[in-house]
Amino acid sequence: MSPALESLARLALARARDAAPAWIERLREEAAVVAREQGLPSRRLEAWKGTSLAKLEALDFVRVGPGAEPARPDAQPARARATAETPDDAIELVFVDGRFEAFASRTTDLPEGVSVRSLAELLVSEPEALEGRLGTLAEPKGPSLVALQTSWLEDGAVVAIDRDVQLATPIRLRFLATADAADAPSAAFPRLLVVAGRGSQATLFQDFACEGDAPGLTNFVAELHIEAGARLEAIELQRETAPRVHVTQTHARLERDARLDSTVLSLGTGLVRSELSVALAEPGAETRMAGFFLGREDGHVDHYTTVDHAAPHCTSVEEYRGVLDDHSKGVFRGRVIVRPGAQKTDAKQSNPNLLLSDRATIDTKPQLEIYADDVKASHGSTIGQLDAEALFFLRARGIDEARARLMLTRAFAHSVVDGVGEAAIREELRERVDAALATTHGALDAEESV
Amino acid sequence: MSEEVLVSIRNLHATANGTPILKGIDLDLRAGEVHAVMGPNGSGKSTLSNVLVGKPGYEVTKGEILFRGKNLLEMEPEIRAREGVFLAFQYPVEIPGVANNYFLRTAVNAARAHRGLDPLDAMDFLSLLREKMKIVEMPDDMMKRAINEGFSGGEKKRNEILQMLLLEPDFCILDETDSGLDIDALRIVAGGVNRMRSPERAMLVITHYQRLLDYVVPDRVHVLSKGRIVRSGDKDLALELEEKGYGWIETGDAAGARS
Ligand SMILES: Nc1ncnc2c1ncn2[C@@H]1O[C@H](COP(=O)(O)OP(=O)(O)OP(=O)(O)O)[C@@H](O)[C@H]1O
Ligand SMILES: [Mg+2]
Repeated sequence: MSPALESLARLALARARDAAPAWIERLREEAAVVAREQGLPSRRLEAWKGTSLAKLEALDFVRVGPGAEPARPDAQPARARATAETPDDAIELVFVDGRFEAFASRTTDLPEGVSVRSLAELLVSEPEALEGRLGTLAEPKGPSLVALQTSWLEDGAVVAIDRDVQLATPIRLRFLATADAADAPSAAFPRLLVVAGRGSQATLFQDFACEGDAPGLTNFVAELHIEAGARLEAIELQRETAPRVHVTQTHARLERDARLDSTVLSLGTGLVRSELSVALAEPGAETRMAGFFLGREDGHVDHYTTVDHAAPHCTSVEEYRGVLDDHSKGVFRGRVIVRPGAQKTDAKQSNPNLLLSDRATIDTKPQLEIYADDVKASHGSTIGQLDAEALFFLRARGIDEARARLMLTRAFAHSVVDGVGEAAIREELRERVDAALATTHGALDAEESV
Repeated sequence: MSEEVLVSIRNLHATANGTPILKGIDLDLRAGEVHAVMGPNGSGKSTLSNVLVGKPGYEVTKGEILFRGKNLLEMEPEIRAREGVFLAFQYPVEIPGVANNYFLRTAVNAARAHRGLDPLDAMDFLSLLREKMKIVEMPDDMMKRAINEGFSGGEKKRNEILQMLLLEPDFCILDETDSGLDIDALRIVAGGVNRMRSPERAMLVITHYQRLLDYVVPDRVHVLSKGRIVRSGDKDLALELEEKGYGWIETGDAAGARS
């Protein structure tokens, strides 16, 4: 067994027991067995060809969840930073190392028909509300880190929107990881369960950040149940920094005429594996999957996406854009499955990439598995440099080359952010993207020359 | 008229992707002058303008270009622009995702920095922009849109003139800025060009039509054919060309080629 799994198994033995019901305990135990037996996914697996978890395997974890000392909120600058952008009337849940922090969160004054709660609390007080939902979309089996996550299933957010409720205020989930010493890696296993009731509408923003520069793991699993006619906009921002390892697995299931607008941004500098799996389970379901990833330094960012067209008349439009600088590596896999009988499927996918450095690499592959005949499916990935005509135009107006490059790179990224429907979140994302791009090579040159 | 030669093009030979296009161009523009360049499709008019602003893909194989006595060919495109060379493109590019107003402010401030001036803040820039937009009759909302994205042909050309008005270059090259314009747009564009006309500036106006030259009356008219200036004259040459076409001078003899 790898040091990572060994140390986690040791920590599991010392774990304080909660009062979760037997079926939860069984779910955890079975997941623990799977996680132990299959180990961490290796590059021999087709789905992991582009990404090595050697960095994760080597970690000898000293804690899971928050440290022993629960600090007061005013003594926590990082926590304040995590929530600084949030307007006063927001609905916001803060998790530190995977644990819900009630005092830093704002969940009062929720509109009728909206429930936003901590999983730890629900596991004890109302576990029956989770039955048939928790662990059903993200099944603890391989090859993934879902089993490992499920074995540590303890806390996270549970969001339920009742039938026909239109929630105007976005729900913000801030996941903050803290750091100890450089030789004391810690792990966090936050979880998210969403049930968007029939005909409901809501926006969800998930923000992952960390403090310090100690190694660690965030292993996150989200399950999104989107019922008939419901619309969910889900935005995920990943900005944890190296040497932290960030693994996220989101599984969504859409019923008849439901819609999921997903935007995933990876702006961190560490090792990222981000899995998004969307099942269009009933006719008329529709999803838009947008992504932007930025690779810097020796960062590694892997997006593994799956759209499962399991019913006729469903639509998926997927576009992930990558910008890779320094000697970073990007990986994109876009699986599109069209099941037998899923006629009139419309599936579009594209993955344009910009390489800012000649040492940066991108490994991109669509993977179409089509078993129906009346299907529209298109895909395309490109690897390129900035548009030479546009670059020259800006220079011909007196803008130096470095700044012109930065302007065009930003524009490339903004087109993803601009698709976000919620204005305040869109603004926050724009700023985050600009700040991240400002540290890329061309941008640093631009700062010097202007 | 001032005697100062602002732009001096001497024996200019240039290739585009290895193909010889310009085959010995000689042209002097004095401050205050407007020169029109006419000539059949493919004669090298756009190539000349692109070489003047330093577009990649062209190589000058012989000759030189002096701008205020400085060797233009040694300067990067952005430096040429800041020094005061401006080309209104025949086919302005669309740049999705870069807002027009942000682009314009960046360009104006780059030029100001070059002249040792402080950058304009958002408010000061906005009032300058408003003033110039009135001249080209551009609505406010076009500034928030991406550069030329979804602009009509005429709007793109007006946007080029707007950039010229904001950057106040001393050497303005207009590459068929009149093409594809309706009568109103032509009047607006010509108005913008005439506003830029001054004793300190020189202009090179590339066009196929007399109608622009009715508004912007040139001091000299040149005919470019197969990479050479084959004829030069005063404003009446343009009228003659309008009437007779290019056939009668495209005989290969370069009589009167020097301006
Ligand atoms: N980048 C290039 N690569 C190869 N050939 C080129 C390139 N640019 C221009 N040419 C060629 O050079 C010649 C002159 O082109 P140019 O665009 O300068 O003509 P023009 O006089 O502006 O024509 P028009 O009136 O149609 O605008 C043409 O034959 C054109 O095909
Ligand atoms: Mg031309």
